[in-house]
Amino acid sequence: MISVFLAQLAKERRNPLLIIVFIAASIGVTLIFTGGTQSPESISIFSEEDHAQAIEEKWERLLNEGDENNLHFVTTTPEEAKEDVQQGRSDLAVRLFENDYQLIKSSNIPTVPYVDQHVRKVFEKEAFISTAVEQSEDPEGLRAEITTKLDDPPMEMEVASLAGDELSNYDMGTQLMFAFTLLIAMFIIGFRVNNIMKDKVYGLWDRMILSPVSKTGMYTAYITYACFIGFVQTMSAILIFKYVLNYDVGERLGLLIVIIAFFTFSMVSIATLFTGIVKNPEQFYAIYPSVIPIIPLISGAYMMPGTLNNPVLTFIGDLFPVSHAMDAIINVVIYDANWQEIIQPLVLMTLIGVVAMGIGVNLVERRTY
Amino acid sequence: MIETIQLSKAFKERTVVEDVDLYLDKGESVGLLGPNGAGKSTTISMISSLLKPTSGDVKLDGKSVISDPGNIRKVLGVVPQEIALYQELTAYENLKFFGRIYRVPKGQLESRIQETLELVGLKDRQKDIIKTFSGGMKRRINIASALLHNPKILILDEPTVGIDPQSRNYILDMIRQLNESNGTTVLYTSHYMEEVEQLCNRVYIMDHGKVIASGSHSELLSILSNEDTMKVQLNQMNEDFIKAIQDIDVVRQVEETGDGIKIIAKKSANIISSLVKFADQQNIQILNFQMENPSLEDVFLHLTGRTLRD
Ligand SMILES: Nc1ncnc2c1ncn2[C@@H]1O[C@H](COP(=O)(O)OP(=O)(O)OP(=O)(O)O)[C@@H](O)[C@H]1O
Ligand SMILES: [Mg+2]
Repeated sequence: MISVFLAQLAKERRNPLLIIVFIAASIGVTLIFTGGTQSPESISIFSEEDHAQAIEEKWERLLNEGDENNLHFVTTTPEEAKEDVQQGRSDLAVRLFENDYQLIKSSNIPTVPYVDQHVRKVFEKEAFISTAVEQSEDPEGLRAEITTKLDDPPMEMEVASLAGDELSNYDMGTQLMFAFTLLIAMFIIGFRVNNIMKDKVYGLWDRMILSPVSKTGMYTAYITYACFIGFVQTMSAILIFKYVLNYDVGERLGLLIVIIAFFTFSMVSIATLFTGIVKNPEQFYAIYPSVIPIIPLISGAYMMPGTLNNPVLTFIGDLFPVSHAMDAIINVVIYDANWQEIIQPLVLMTLIGVVAMGIGVNLVERRTY
Repeated sequence: MIETIQLSKAFKERTVVEDVDLYLDKGESVGLLGPNGAGKSTTISMISSLLKPTSGDVKLDGKSVISDPGNIRKVLGVVPQEIALYQELTAYENLKFFGRIYRVPKGQLESRIQETLELVGLKDRQKDIIKTFSGGMKRRINIASALLHNPKILILDEPTVGIDPQSRNYILDMIRQLNESNGTTVLYTSHYMEEVEQLCNRVYIMDHGKVIASGSHSELLSILSNEDTMKVQLNQMNEDFIKAIQDIDVVRQVEETGDGIKIIAKKSANIISSLVKFADQQNIQILNFQMENPSLEDVFLHLTGRTLRD
């Protein structure tokens, strides 16, 4: 069994490029997407209402108030804004109404929820203020007073999303970093689990079966190896983020390691199940990479917590470990949770892992060539 | 040593091996010959316990191996039809891997690897990655991987497919050497007549999942006609000798050739002892004795109406 594990490792060492490229990719993608939120991003706003100019002026001022979010809103013509989005020159634009807005976007890239969060906050705040000042004798005075108080709290206003999660001070960059790292780990894990199938097709598996190594030993070796490589890949990326790029990964590295270990096992099980379902390794290579990126998307890993509230998507997302891993990671990294507070996601990942592994190994075992 | 009894295999109603009875005695070299899809690999998989037969049995020294595959696996070396090696690793690393999983004792592993590399003639290439090997070299390492644990029985599934004649001869010589010097029992699968003719004492011919003929080379050839043709080379001859042979009741015809006689006798008749006896009486020395026959290829053609490589 150890020999089988070591052979996998020897193959990896002969050809470490894949792992290195994948780690680099998770870092690169994170930098591209979170780097974008560091420098002011210019977003077109426009209105098509009757008194468009007044609306535009009012919201441009409000949206650009305060610069902590690095977003910059610029008024353009509706045609220009729409065309830019359609042709991919910009990610999104905001169409303004008197008291509401609409995001014009071409795809659900990770910056969308980030911008959405900010715009919604501004609109909600304004709605709150205007309701309050409506009946007032001195609207201007009251408005000024509320604004100062809101921005400078003795009075704290809690902005909540529909699902009720807290939104303030949320570090989307950190979340994206973990989301991308886990996404890349899912790829690596899948490819390594698929080695079982590859070796079956090439006859190596049969050779091992004829040897004194037991079948359980063989599965254990391949699966342990996939866990090992997934874990190493993920932890390397996280450590590079922490020590080289100075990302905030929270104070509890130990808990993070535990979460990653549970995630890796759980994901290896899912990949095994997947391997058991597809017909051959080629089909795996065709289908797995196209399915995997969808999972973090429907799990809401790229979005603000609570942004995604379609019950069907959420349910499907929850069947995969990445949503629970992200849940635990965010709790630990951003809200400084202790281990008791992440037991639930850990248990869920274990459950997914055990069930998927049980079914997966049985299906893989039945595949013959 | 190994025996199959009414061995059959069906994949989803389609029978691909049907009632195959074959046996291998200790030290024998037996060929399994048949065209593509005849069921050779499937038969081998069942013998080596990789595949469960639909019906029938495989026995090693009288004991069934189906319920207890451990026994046969211990004495078996199987060379699969495909190149089953880690392409990314070197020849040495591959052999070390197989040596380890086949439990070659640690102290012997290194020397076994070197001996085996020597045997397949690739000692100087051991540090090279399999991917960079030629087809013939890959085949040789593929065989070497099955030899590390010194198997008593060696099963080879088309080990010379798609390689150059030089590598092919090398492999054939190597297998012959294992069979003759080490006493390894060999089951050799092929669709090349010449190889089986060269290498094997006995041959089973398979087609459409069934054994359609079996026996020694000459036994198979005699299927072709009701007669055997023998060429006997003699140091001298005389009338009495020829007369005596003609009088053996199974002999149809005796012809004088330049350096001896040609005997046409009834199929499968054993006239050799009489031949030797008469020669002895007349003080004639038999220099050479040869069945003059068409090839196995013709036998297959005769049996199926097709050639082997159709
Ligand atoms: N796992 C399987 N499922 C379904 N059919 C199979 C399976 N394995 C083999 N067969 C079929 O069984 C038949 C015999 O195959 P087998 O590989 O034993 O032939 P072979 O004599 O080794 O041929 P070749 O010379 O091409 O190697 C073929 O028709 C093949 O398609
Ligand atoms: Mg075959």
